[in-house]
Amino acid sequence: MASYVPSRRAAIVGAVAAASGGLAGCGRRRSPGAIGFWAMSYEGDYSPILTTAFTAATGVPVDHQSLPSTAAHEKLLTALAGDALPDVVALPNEWVGEFAMAGALAPVTDPALTADLFPGAAALTRYRGRPYAVPWSLSPQLQYYRRDLLAAVGFDAPPDRWGEWRAAAIALKRRRPDDYVVLMYLNWWDTLFTLALQAGAPMLRDRATRGAFSEARFAHAMAFYVSLFELGLAPRALSTEIQDPLAAFGQGMFALYPNSPVLLLDLHRRAHLIPRERWAVTRMPGPTGPGPVSSVSTSLAVTARARRPAQAWMLVRYLTTVPAELRLQRLIGKLPARPSAWDTPQMRNPLLRPFVAQADVPAPSPDVVEWERIRLEVQLVAERVVRGLATLEEGLAEMDRRADRILARRRALVDAGRIA
Amino acid sequence: MTRQQRAGLAFTLPVLTVIALVFVLPTALALTLSVTDYSVYALADWANLSFVGLGNFRELADNPLFWRALGNTLAFAALGVPMAIVASLAAALLLSDATVRWKPLWRVILFAPYVTSVVATAVVWRFLFNERYGLLNRALGAVGLPGVDWLGDPHLSIPSILLFVTWKVFGYNMIVFTAALSAVSGELMEAARLDGAGPWRRFRHVTLPAIGPTLLLAAVMSVAGFLQLFTEPYVMTLGGPAQSTTTILYFMFDEGFKWWNLGQASAVALVLFAMILAVTLVQVRIGRRREWL
Amino acid sequence: MRLPRPRTVVMNLAAAAAAIVTAAPLAWMVLVSFMPRGESGTSPPPLWPSRWSLENYHELLARRMYDGAWFDYRILPALGNSLWVAAAATFFALILTVPAGYAFAKLRFRGRERLLQMLLAALVVPGQVAMLPLFLLFRELGLVNTYAGAVLPSLAGIFAVLFVRQATLAVPDEMIDAARLDGASEGRIFAVIVLPLLTPVVVTLALFLFLASWNDFLWPLIVLTDQHHYTLPVAVASISREHAADGELMMAASVVTTLPILLIFLALQRYYLTGLLGGSVKG
Repeated sequence: MASYVPSRRAAIVGAVAAASGGLAGCGRRRSPGAIGFWAMSYEGDYSPILTTAFTAATGVPVDHQSLPSTAAHEKLLTALAGDALPDVVALPNEWVGEFAMAGALAPVTDPALTADLFPGAAALTRYRGRPYAVPWSLSPQLQYYRRDLLAAVGFDAPPDRWGEWRAAAIALKRRRPDDYVVLMYLNWWDTLFTLALQAGAPMLRDRATRGAFSEARFAHAMAFYVSLFELGLAPRALSTEIQDPLAAFGQGMFALYPNSPVLLLDLHRRAHLIPRERWAVTRMPGPTGPGPVSSVSTSLAVTARARRPAQAWMLVRYLTTVPAELRLQRLIGKLPARPSAWDTPQMRNPLLRPFVAQADVPAPSPDVVEWERIRLEVQLVAERVVRGLATLEEGLAEMDRRADRILARRRALVDAGRIA
Repeated sequence: MTRQQRAGLAFTLPVLTVIALVFVLPTALALTLSVTDYSVYALADWANLSFVGLGNFRELADNPLFWRALGNTLAFAALGVPMAIVASLAAALLLSDATVRWKPLWRVILFAPYVTSVVATAVVWRFLFNERYGLLNRALGAVGLPGVDWLGDPHLSIPSILLFVTWKVFGYNMIVFTAALSAVSGELMEAARLDGAGPWRRFRHVTLPAIGPTLLLAAVMSVAGFLQLFTEPYVMTLGGPAQSTTTILYFMFDEGFKWWNLGQASAVALVLFAMILAVTLVQVRIGRRREWL
Repeated sequence: MRLPRPRTVVMNLAAAAAAIVTAAPLAWMVLVSFMPRGESGTSPPPLWPSRWSLENYHELLARRMYDGAWFDYRILPALGNSLWVAAAATFFALILTVPAGYAFAKLRFRGRERLLQMLLAALVVPGQVAMLPLFLLFRELGLVNTYAGAVLPSLAGIFAVLFVRQATLAVPDEMIDAARLDGASEGRIFAVIVLPLLTPVVVTLALFLFLASWNDFLWPLIVLTDQHHYTLPVAVASISREHAADGELMMAASVVTTLPILLIFLALQRYYLTGLLGGSVKG
């Protein structure tokens, strides 16, 4: 038997205990009286900056947590189930109905918060007729394009009808066969659903209990989407595979870049990659002209079991004032949700004109709890079709099957009359 | 009660209580959950919960993603176990060879990946596999071969992840096999060498029979490990591309915690349980024969 | 001097090559973590930092002021959480499982064999089956998002009990019987006679338990919802989702996660490796 070396082991245990105590203490612990605020992606990353003035003015410290967007849904659900939600949460609009139904959110009682809103956004944040969140920012999808590359094939701007738009893209591809023309990540549903919305596809039927993806309008949009890959105009790539899309855009790897207003900021910060004259923004093309597009719009909600509801509402009120929303726009590019903010000099910037035009067109979105999951599943099937693992007809049928399966519980409850 | 009786119960009761609370009770609950349609609707209102019998299992059987996850998991095991066992055996043979010096150094280095955190090393390997900036494609380019889309090609994603998993785990069985190899009868080897048998024949007729049972046991135990792959797809590929790396456990996690279909997810957990039960029964039978237990 | 035989050269080169290939990812991880931001995102990727920079570690570990607000990845608190959780799990698991393993090996009590068989049967059930209902159970007990909630499942150490039992079987019965005849209580026998004999086993077990708890991912991912309580793997996974493109930053995070464990392993590797096999590994 090996001999026992008590001193060595004791030393290690002691060191571990001391180190863990020290390290656990040296981070920023939650200060007492602080309200918790969870946000996703850009809002999450920049929330400390947004709330500094709030803390300075009211003396209420804010404890931030940024959720990665791909893990946000499970983090929120497990926190809800474990009664560990923070006081204030920033949610995509489409999730408000789901979390309101699950009892996570407190209803908005102050009418001043829900005045001055775009009707489309306000409708999405209602559940059973009551508002449960205050719209905070809009982020519609538009296309950024390389003016010089398009000019070289004879276009001032990308055409706004699908047929001509694709023809322009083909001309671009012919000129630069080694590069692509448009960047659409295969694991993001935004572009496909923009095309579907432009085509006016309803996507769900029978009181939103069954999928309608085999229907003509969506099929038309899907065929157009797939053709862009088949013609070599778009790379078959996931978002995790492209290290630096902006640098690629600057190098001409693609000339058309559908994205949200957030890209404006990156373009401004990294102007050395793409000088200002080389790019511009315009609305996404539709079958007969531009129309509604997919939009990641965020709302703020106070949770039902917030520990400090009064301070939580103060934060929500502060963040949704016009100056705060304009500040958000300057910081991360997302557009204000309050129409009165659009009248200001900052928003009359010519760069933002296409965004203003787009924001006036509301994007209808089925108000079902499962919509997020259906979108993800539809994009997964679309990826299979694009990669040649299924034909277009098989893909559309599969989308309907998956939507029907996901909506099964809702269908049962609707049939039983328990939900509208 | 005798003194030993009292002491025996006192010594074992604490850990048995914890096991009952943290293990036995939830497993029984899992059986209960799997026959209900617990979902986010039930989270909102208990009245929305209902008993569905085998409905969850029927829905699983109808769900192509479940079958794909099952297929992926079996592919991971079918490809991964041979890879890992062969790598461990090769390393053990290398380390058991009489002519190799500095064995302790090699042993420590070859074992090191096993003690590292899966998340940290998965992040490193995700970077290694990067199509443009990864070391692997750079190495291929240095010998004139074209780069490979390791994690972006649905047909290559499973082998790529297995490359990482093999690197991570081969050290453990390497040590196990080293011990087994050291028990191979030296006299038998000498006799074989005197008989003029070459290294390959010596391996086949002396070494392999001696370590055969250990190899088999290690392989069977590895299967259970490969059936439970989760962290690697979670960190490296998010279950993609085109859901080619979605495993049973990943499917269960998504279904259970992302969409809160705990009824369905519990059904998946029971399927996983059945698979591992089958594997473990095989292992027990082999183990009993070798008096391992 | 006699030249080494070709076979010797080949075998030694093979061993060295295997070691280099195995260590290469870890070495590259360290090298990239010291590169200036963005350097690894060039094609072809560089093999050596153009200049050694601590900026990634600074960004990862330090609280930075930017535009009037503090930004923090909270890696150091996560490191502290990991240490704390792993130490607690190891400590309590040892307290629970070592006496139980001894009891199953050396104490005669009614129901011992049946309990043992139930433990063996429990080995068959994978932990993930219990995970979903366990979450619901902890929610009722108020243990979600607590350190206790993260530590508790690791205390159900069935493997540990069986491991200790296996090792204790080798302790000679005569010593224990003699002590009993001398009138020592069972507790004293265990603490004074058996435990010192078991210390290598206990140390090895402690290493295994610490390692398992440190590297545990799925359960902390589920039960810890608050960033303040994240353990290191959960924190790194969370950052890796949003910052997949930041190669240098992620490599620095990986270094911070793997370095403590590697150091502990290097210091105590003899215990660990011999513990795996009970001394049949020759130097």
